[in-house]
Amino acid sequence: MTVLLLVALAVVFAFLAIRARRLITSALWLAGVSALCALVFSLYGARQVAVIELSVGAGLVTVLFVFAISVAGDEPLAGRPVLPRPLSAGLVLLWMLVLGGMLLPGLPIPPAVPPDRAGLAEVLWGPRGLDALLQVVVIFAGVLGLLGLLAESGAPLDGAVAREVAAGRERDLQALTEQLQDGEAVPE
Amino acid sequence: MLQVCLLAILGLPWLGAAVIWLAGDRRPDRLHRLAVAFSAAGGLAALGLLPQATDEVALRLSLGGVFGDFTLVPDGLGVLVAAIASVIGCLAIVFATDYMQHGHQLARFYSLTLLFIGAMAGLALSGSLLLTFLFWEITALCSYALISFHNDDPRAVAGGLKALVMTQVGGIGLLVGALLAYAWLGDYQISTFLARAGSLPEGVLGLIAFGFLLAAAAKSAQVPLHSWLPDAMEAPTPVTALIHAATMVNAGVYLLARFYPAFSSVPHWRLAVMVVGALSALLAGLMALACGDIKRVLAYSTISQLGFMVYAVGSGALFASQFHLLSHAIFKALLFLAAGALITALGTRDLCQMGGLGRRMPFVRTVFVIGACGLVGLPLANGFFSKDLILEGGLEGGPAWLYAGMLVSVGLTAAYSLRLVGLVFGGERRGPDPAHDARPAMRLALALLAFGTLSSWLLAGPLGRMLAGTLPAHSLEAVGTWRLVGAILAHPATWGTLAVVALGFALWAGRRAFTRLARALAPLLEGGLGFEWLNRQIVDQTRRLAALVQRSQTGQLNWNAAAILAGLLAAAAVLLAGGRP
Amino acid sequence: MSLAPLQIAVLGVIGLLGAGFYGLLAGRNLIKIVVALQVLVKGALLGLVAAGSVKGQVALGESLAVTVIVADTIVAVMGIALGVQIRRRVGTLDVKELSKLRG
Repeated sequence: MTVLLLVALAVVFAFLAIRARRLITSALWLAGVSALCALVFSLYGARQVAVIELSVGAGLVTVLFVFAISVAGDEPLAGRPVLPRPLSAGLVLLWMLVLGGMLLPGLPIPPAVPPDRAGLAEVLWGPRGLDALLQVVVIFAGVLGLLGLLAESGAPLDGAVAREVAAGRERDLQALTEQLQDGEAVPE
Repeated sequence: MLQVCLLAILGLPWLGAAVIWLAGDRRPDRLHRLAVAFSAAGGLAALGLLPQATDEVALRLSLGGVFGDFTLVPDGLGVLVAAIASVIGCLAIVFATDYMQHGHQLARFYSLTLLFIGAMAGLALSGSLLLTFLFWEITALCSYALISFHNDDPRAVAGGLKALVMTQVGGIGLLVGALLAYAWLGDYQISTFLARAGSLPEGVLGLIAFGFLLAAAAKSAQVPLHSWLPDAMEAPTPVTALIHAATMVNAGVYLLARFYPAFSSVPHWRLAVMVVGALSALLAGLMALACGDIKRVLAYSTISQLGFMVYAVGSGALFASQFHLLSHAIFKALLFLAAGALITALGTRDLCQMGGLGRRMPFVRTVFVIGACGLVGLPLANGFFSKDLILEGGLEGGPAWLYAGMLVSVGLTAAYSLRLVGLVFGGERRGPDPAHDARPAMRLALALLAFGTLSSWLLAGPLGRMLAGTLPAHSLEAVGTWRLVGAILAHPATWGTLAVVALGFALWAGRRAFTRLARALAPLLEGGLGFEWLNRQIVDQTRRLAALVQRSQTGQLNWNAAAILAGLLAAAAVLLAGGRP
Repeated sequence: MSLAPLQIAVLGVIGLLGAGFYGLLAGRNLIKIVVALQVLVKGALLGLVAAGSVKGQVALGESLAVTVIVADTIVAVMGIALGVQIRRRVGTLDVKELSKLRG
């Protein structure tokens, strides 16, 4: 019963996160979803993932969101959405119905299987060792990408290239003005 | 030993390609020597492989999972095609050392050619459908890159693109067939497929069979996918001789012959193959009559001769098709290389500017006429025996009306060959004088090929034994050379064919009587009998469709997400309709 | 009516996926879209963990979930960083405006 309550609450929070007008509210609701999910995970017996989710999903990502919003500003966008709202809602509802129709009726109610005693670490470094290594690579790539993106200087157009382009434009403009002043026809 | 030979056939040309690519263009003389050395070594390895042909898997590279094993099976069919590719490739490269003497970017030229030789040998020897497809595509890539070798010439670039696109259409057929076979059999091995093709559902087997026919028609330039080959003549002539006459275009015939035992029971498949072959032979023969460019005439004659081979496979005369494949590879490479010698000496490909060259270039004239004898099928040349075997096979295994069509093609072949020889070597001199006769390396390659044209029919017996001994699924029987020759000479159809050849000669000799007909037909033939128009229409319509579809690409994130969701919905709907697994 | 644990999880997955998809379709703010992606992934995580637990293979489900968390966090971080940079250079986070950029 607790699980049902928590899951329902998570779904409600998710809708609130999507519907929120301000970004900061949205981020906070998302943190709520994450925390609720972590609780549910721990009730399902996945303690370690629950801890990871709580610290990374609810913690780190939320902090990043708040940081980004404080930098990028939080003004609501004016104007209409790209897709008509009924179309979006209809598509999503249809999708949820189809998914529910596919999954729920034939769902076997499995007998309680005695839990496998293998720990997360054993599985992660044993059968799924390759994945774990790849994850390390992904994390590195992500950090590198992040550093590249957040770097203030050295961006492609900030340095010599930008000056070059600006100088070229300046020259063209100069030539054009001179031609016009001379009263000649602009050549093709 | 077998493994060493196999690895050498594939590896040496590719190693050579890498070495030459890395060596760069700085020292052309060294490049010539390197290319000849690597291709000659590959050719020798291929010749060494000939007596070792077997139907066992000789090399196996296990890739596990969905890719299955990549295997090399040096059976008779594969060894034959690989040897043709390696040996003719070596001769073409020897010829190119003279032809490309003042050429630029030699490294690119040689490494692509060597890459092609290795890939073609691999294609022939591969025992796995997936590996076959891989090599198939590498050859297509090399063909494209070499057609567009002179990449500052817009016609060369357009010709290369056309070849690439049209052969890709065929590649799709091959890929779909291979994947279907894998889906049903769980194995990519060709031997498995041949053994268990009967257990496939009829519709699936039919789909695979016609997919492979599409692939073969595109690669072997058969109607209606033939029009890339004449445009491929922008390639340097040694490449044309190698890829677009002697080897790559054989891949389609090879594919059909390889899978004939699996597909022969598919309803209408054999008839479809025969019709495609006969139509190609006939139409290309007609177009060759009206063409004014020496290389394009030879290209049309290639299409026509490949039509003969395809027709032979369809009628079940597998040995005849492979025998003609060997003959054709030799005499057509000879003709193209001789044409290359003419072109370097004259600087033009236009038939109107040739004529009267017989006395100026006696060596080239002699070998060209020998090649033409092979093409027409005059006695003593290899084409005589192989073509007659095809026609006899067609008479036994196919309907009479198609046989009649093939006879007309034989007459047309005689007519356009006589026209070609007459325009080039006979009559008065109509253009600038040739700079020189063939150069030494050219002479070497041409002389070897001319010798082959006159003598390769002696290999009929050993070739038959090799094919019969190593292709258990094809149920061939071996006949000795002399018994075969005796049978051909005793068969009444042979003499009928010779009579048709004489008629074809007479047709060209007495062409004044048909002036009005020729004038009426000329514009039609120059337009490629409407196939060019068809091609253009398809290209235009595709472009229009692309422009239409482009509008759906708004570039807006929300729409993209909506499309993803719609796709998910469609997939779910399909799953729901099909029931849960 | 009592629901089995797996059924509860599936209902939760459907709800979370629906909310996430709606955010992807209707959201115009780039950062909001990253939020929607996060919600979607939470749904997927829930499904993985629940399936692992019901099948008695908690650790396997967990290890898959860890992979997803890693990938998804990277996506979120990159999305946020992109958003910040775009906001600095272009001055808006509206994907409707951003899709008009050329070059």
